[in-house]
Amino acid sequence: MSGRFGDIATYAILSLLAVFFATPFVWMLSLALRTPSEIYLGAARLIPDAPTLGNFARILSDAAFLTYLWNGLKLSALGGGLAVALAIPAAYAFSRLDFRRKEAALIAILAVQMISPLVILVPLYRWMGSLGLLNLDASVIALYGALGMPLAVWLLKVAFDAIPREIEEAAIVDGASRWQVLMRITLPLARPGLASAFVLAMVTNWSQFLVPFILLERDRDWPISVAIFNFAGSVSASTTQLLAAACLVAVVPAVAVFVFLQRMIVSALIAGALKG
Amino acid sequence: MTTARGPAPADGRPWPWLVPAVLFLAAFYAVPVVDVVRLAFSDATLIRAPERWSTDALRALMRDPALREVLVTTVVFTAVNVVALQAMGLLITLTLVRGEARGLRGMTAFRTLVLAAWVVPGIANGLIWQILFDEAPYGTLNSLLGFAGLGPVAWLSDPDMALASAVIANLWQGTAFSMIVFYAARRGIDPTLYEVAAIDGASPWRTFRSVTLPLLRTAIAVNTVLVAVQTLNTFDAILALTGGGPGRATEVLSLFTFNTVFYNLDLAGGSVLALILFLLAMVMATLVFGWLGRER
Repeated sequence: MSGRFGDIATYAILSLLAVFFATPFVWMLSLALRTPSEIYLGAARLIPDAPTLGNFARILSDAAFLTYLWNGLKLSALGGGLAVALAIPAAYAFSRLDFRRKEAALIAILAVQMISPLVILVPLYRWMGSLGLLNLDASVIALYGALGMPLAVWLLKVAFDAIPREIEEAAIVDGASRWQVLMRITLPLARPGLASAFVLAMVTNWSQFLVPFILLERDRDWPISVAIFNFAGSVSASTTQLLAAACLVAVVPAVAVFVFLQRMIVSALIAGALKG
Repeated sequence: MTTARGPAPADGRPWPWLVPAVLFLAAFYAVPVVDVVRLAFSDATLIRAPERWSTDALRALMRDPALREVLVTTVVFTAVNVVALQAMGLLITLTLVRGEARGLRGMTAFRTLVLAAWVVPGIANGLIWQILFDEAPYGTLNSLLGFAGLGPVAWLSDPDMALASAVIANLWQGTAFSMIVFYAARRGIDPTLYEVAAIDGASPWRTFRSVTLPLLRTAIAVNTVLVAVQTLNTFDAILALTGGGPGRATEVLSLFTFNTVFYNLDLAGGSVLALILFLLAMVMATLVFGWLGRER
């Protein structure tokens, strides 16, 4: 297919798909800007006659919601940081050292990624209960570290592989230890890879529902993902506009970060996929 | 893939480097999985430690008529998603690649839109689609269909439709992943193959059948397994969308496991189910890595 006809077909296909992918976002925004009476007008009022920011104001002026957002940010950032910190030395070894069964170990780490968090949460909930570790941010963060680490190892290995060995060898000849080389030379050079791995882990954590839902029982400890689920269970259809606003508040931070950094993240993912 | 081999590293012992990662994997994966096996053959509940060891939990589950229903739903839901997500991901990839090759505008914007849906938290995904599927006359999709003189559709209250609705919600969010894998694989195809096909006067369909599809075989195999595992493992969108209903119409295995443990407090039964989930994931992991190993 070439030429003008093909271009028209390309745009036709993408426009149809764009409607599908954009509708939920556009609709949530439309609903979130409506007054209660306009909710009942359905599709007849895509653009509200009397748009209001009142729904967002109500959500964001609720101290509890700000706490949920903060909890979400705190847990996902620290969990993502832990995942990357754990992955750095392992990925470095996979990239720079030769050892027996390296391939097998790398595959085993990836296979772990396929285990559902639900499987490990069943026994973990019991242990953490008997050890008094429930309702602690540290428990959630530790689990996020374990859940995010395999993908981070993979992404960082690809990032380290792209850094020429010669740069490190010069430093080793000068008497630096491997650890010093990693900290002072390799990591600064691998910044884009590190950032991609961190942001991906963080966005995944932001979406996590099951882990905090099970490990955190107190309302004030919840991240936003758990809070909106609970919020949805507590409102009637007459407050659809509030629920829509709450969903957007939960969705926008992750989408914004991702869209802003997508070029970097997507190229890291594509590099990872090509190697795999 | 071989990397450049520099002079042998001063110390080739990987252990000091691997210790943190291995400790976490052991504490949060290996030991819990062993414990799941142990609990599956016990009489433990969420509030009582195991006292007796038996296969009672396994047998009780086999007799449970709900399990059959749940397994059928799981297989149907997973299979439909595997096909739908990849078909959509492939369509988007090939259209995008064509548009980019022609230098058309808006390709990056479209890709960004698809990726934006990907990072929506599963719970929010379920809630958003629940609002869209609202069956009241003013519900989004039904009022849109009303303009076209169609509907109303019982999106969430009809059992068969509810499963289709869950697929639609998952398609919205999950397509981006397939798109990334296919996009990477498509860019890895040697462009001269397409030039040769063009010189030979091959039709677009012929080029797709004889060049693109065979060379994307590995990507399709990998995608099939990863999408299947992902679909098996996640249920937060379904939990928020339908809660598994109406009846058990959308209750997939992972949601059933969650309900068994955390609502019925049946830890032994839930452990059997978790074990099934684990084994399914491992079988699929073996399939994909076995396939990749042979391709290399």
